[in-house]
Amino acid sequence: MSPDGKQGSSKRAAAQRRIAEKRAAEAAARAQAERRRRTVIGGAVGAVLVVIAVVITVVVQSNRTATSATAATPAHTVSNGKVIVVGSSSAPVTVDLYEDFQCPNCRNFEAETGKTLAELVAAGTVQAHYHEMAFLDTAANDKYSTRALNAAAAVVNAAGGSAFQKFHDLLYANQPPETGSGLPDSQLIAYAAQAGATGTTVQNQIKDLTYGDWVKKVTDQASKDGVTGTPTVFVKGKQLSDLSPAGLTAAVNAAKG
Amino acid sequence: MPWVATLARLLVGGVFVVAGLLKLPDPAAAVRAVRAYRLLPEGLVAPVAFGQPVVEIAIGLALVLGVFVRTAAIVSAVLLVVFIVGVGSAWARGLQIDCGCFGNGGQVAAGRTTYPWEIARDVGLLIVALALARWPRSRLALGTVLAGPSVEKELSRVP
Repeated sequence: MSPDGKQGSSKRAAAQRRIAEKRAAEAAARAQAERRRRTVIGGAVGAVLVVIAVVITVVVQSNRTATSATAATPAHTVSNGKVIVVGSSSAPVTVDLYEDFQCPNCRNFEAETGKTLAELVAAGTVQAHYHEMAFLDTAANDKYSTRALNAAAAVVNAAGGSAFQKFHDLLYANQPPETGSGLPDSQLIAYAAQAGATGTTVQNQIKDLTYGDWVKKVTDQASKDGVTGTPTVFVKGKQLSDLSPAGLTAAVNAAKG
Repeated sequence: MPWVATLARLLVGGVFVVAGLLKLPDPAAAVRAVRAYRLLPEGLVAPVAFGQPVVEIAIGLALVLGVFVRTAAIVSAVLLVVFIVGVGSAWARGLQIDCGCFGNGGQVAAGRTTYPWEIARDVGLLIVALALARWPRSRLALGTVLAGPSVEKELSRVP
């Protein structure tokens, strides 16, 4: 081989290498452009899908939480039918109570302080305003919070505040365990009768969940009132921190002036 | 490192998917949980309560599957900062609420709040999300497959 030939072949090899490198670079550029294109399209499709999912979910959940404007409201209630009143309207002190029939702390409060409150109401010192809530529904308790509050609405509708008070006390005295199966409707009907609310109307309203929408409304109202736990008690608008009988008596005496 | 990123994706993504799913069955409770923070005007409470879980599930799925990992990690980090600020402000204002992070109505018995734990958990997730945003490359990522042949692969064909 002549030196010229050697030089020529190495030149050719270098040229081939340059061409290969250029082709590879072009292919890489094409691959990158293709990746970018796929990413942009994929991102746009993904973003549109998320927006559609958000819109659909908002519509569906709004429908699930919607309550009828013409929903049944129990009689013997105030504040647009959302509050159940027990006691004399001439009582000097208003005590607002937020409770759930399934809430164990409410049962403890009722067991400890309920009697003191009842005495203050009986003495004409206090008018109790019950803001009931139902947020402890589970599949296991067959929506007991809602069923119990619906039954309470049926009782107050049929027989008024003092019957409600008796029914309320019976439900706390016989509260089912929070993780249990809740009281059956037949038991709620029996307690309603014991509290003084009898008849087929009460029975049907308890079984048919007539005040189901009302339960949703009052629960939502309690949340709007800023209540995030039960029991929450206000004495003349001021939240009570000491829920003992002494604490309630002291706050009522202070509010009485 | 890519396997660590895979674990990080599954952790943050899994938490977001679960947190989102748990908020869907009881929409009324979701509304109460958002309202309990007392930060949003009433008109925004329901849309946020209903829309937020969908966003959580979307970014959670993106992270778990490994598509748009960097974007999903950044969005999750932004959400976590919002959550930390929200919980911190509830704590600072003395509100007695549950964070509602995993789908309950924000109610809590007096004196039973767990703000330090809620914030610690969110800060931990935030650190992982930020690390993912910085180093998003990981194994078992669907996005790598869908994106087609990579630049490196084409260049490696050079003899």
